This record gives sequence, structure tokens and C-alpha cells, in this order.
Amino acid sequence: MFIQFQEKTSKTLGQHFLQSVWQCAAMFALAVFLGFSINQFRVSRLPLIEDWSMEALLKSPSGDRLDMSLVEAKNLFFQKAAIMIDARPNDDYEKGHIRGARSLPWHEVDQRFMEVTKDISVNTPIITYCDGKTCRLSHDLANFLLDMGFTNVRILVNGWTKWQHADLPVDK
Amino acid sequence: MPKKRNHLSRVFYHGVRLILGVIFIYASYDKILHPKAFAEVVYNYQILPDGLINVTAIFLPWLEMLMGIFLIMGFWMPGTVIWCNTLLVVYIGALCFNLARGLDVNCGCFSTTKGSTISIETILWDVAFLALSVYLFFFVFFKRTSGNRRFI
Repeated sequence: MFIQFQEKTSKTLGQHFLQSVWQCAAMFALAVFLGFSINQFRVSRLPLIEDWSMEALLKSPSGDRLDMSLVEAKNLFFQKAAIMIDARPNDDYEKGHIRGARSLPWHEVDQRFMEVTKDISVNTPIITYCDGKTCRLSHDLANFLLDMGFTNVRILVNGWTKWQHADLPVDK
Repeated sequence: MPKKRNHLSRVFYHGVRLILGVIFIYASYDKILHPKAFAEVVYNYQILPDGLINVTAIFLPWLEMLMGIFLIMGFWMPGTVIWCNTLLVVYIGALCFNLARGLDVNCGCFSTTKGSTISIETILWDVAFLALSVYLFFFVFFKRTSGNRRFI
């Protein structure tokens, strides 16, 4: 009994590291196997490779382009024909936003959606924007609004920066 | 006295193992249920190339789930603690990197839903988990080799 215990505890640190290497590899293999096999049986299977480019992101689920130019946005703004929605966090909105834009931070969309959109009819043109060329908040918000039944939602990519650079009306 | 200390240290080891196990299972559960949302979280970090985003979103939550289960069961502890430490270091690195470059993205730490943006607080939580994980590492690799294997 004592000898057995001695044998058990006499493993060197090196052996333990060796043990950990094959265990790590086995866990990785098991995770890959579980992940990929369960993904195959999902109704909404995630493709292994997906196009994450900006061009692909700017398409609605039905394939329509969602982005719009600054000129188009500006025209709609001056005609008061569209509602601008700022998808950035509230702090950023408070620091400055497109004049008359409403704040609907993407991170609070579940809590604030009803309050912000209750007086907007489903076919009113809506323009979402955030800041930065790779900012996805406005894309996520636009797709969310489309899912919620709004039919005329567009995105002004990098909207806040573009709007300021063009010296268009802002509220600060 | 040393016997009592040994006992306390074993109790602490099992406590830490169970706590980290529950944390990893909790962290993986929502990501497994919503792989698309988790893929978006991975994309938003803007660290991995496009070709690896979905692959990562598919297997990573399962690795976390296995780690959680193995920690609770006390199974394959050397491999499990190596993964715990590695993943936590990678997560902390990714959080710091994005916080430093000012990216306002969803942390995706415990949930794929919106509302948990990265902050110093999220990094500190991960550092606390890493401290527990490092403790497990030393217990498993050093304490165990010095004669406590029976108790693990």
C-alpha cells in the first residue's frame, strides 16, 4: 500500500507537464468535435466561413443595400423626410449628435426601443449612424429595426464623423 | 499545525475548482445557444481574420464548457488548468488591447447580448479569475508532485 502510494507520488513535474500536453490536445479535439458536430444539426447552422466584409454587412437579410451617401442623408435631413437615430452609447450622444437625432444606443436597444420608436410609423425613412468606418452599431441597429417591421431603414456609415466634416447642423 | 494547514489548502483548492467550473459553464452556456451572436462578438473584437471568426465561435464555447465540467469533476486537471490559464490570459489581452484602442464593443464575457461593454471592471474580473486559475495551476503541478496527489 505504502509502496503503491510512493509510486503514485513519485511522478516528476516533467511527467505532469507531458500529461497536461496530451490532455490539452484531447480537450481541444473534443471541443472541436462537439462544436462542429452540434453545429451541423442546428436549424440556424453557422457557416464555417462567412463574409464579414463591410460590403456584406451593408446588405439587409433580403439582399438590399442598406448604406446611403452623405448627400442622400443630407437631402432627407433638410427636407425633414427622415428620422436620424444615433446608435452610439448615450455618453457619446450627449457630447454631440446630428441635430434632431434620437438616441437609441445599441447596447440598450431592448430597454429603449419602444420609448424611442413609439411615434414612428413603419414606413417612415430612418437613418441610423454611429462613428468610425468599422463601427457596427448602426448596422446592428438597422437590422434590428428591419426585424421589428420598419421598412425604410438605411445606414449612414461613419455618420457622425462625416456629418461634422461636412459642417452640417449638430447639437452639442 | 501543518496538517491543519494542509487540510485548509485542500478545502480552498476544491472551492476554487468548483467556483471556476461554475463560472466557465455559465460563460459558455449563452454562447453555445447563440453562436451567431457570439460570432458577432468575436468579429467586433477585430483581432481574428475573417476566416477564423465562425470557426472560433463554434468551438470556443465548447472548450469553456468542457473546462467547466472537468473543473467540477476534478478530471484531467493538469490539462484543464493549462487551458484555464491560457484562455484567461488571452481574454485579458484582448480586452486590454481593445480598451486601449478605444473600441466600444460588447465584452461577450458571460453573455452574447448587448449591454456588457468592455471596461476596466471586466478586466479586473478576469484578472481575479486568472488569480484563482494560477492558484489551481500551482496546486496541481507543484503541490501534487510534492505528495498530495491522493487528495486531488
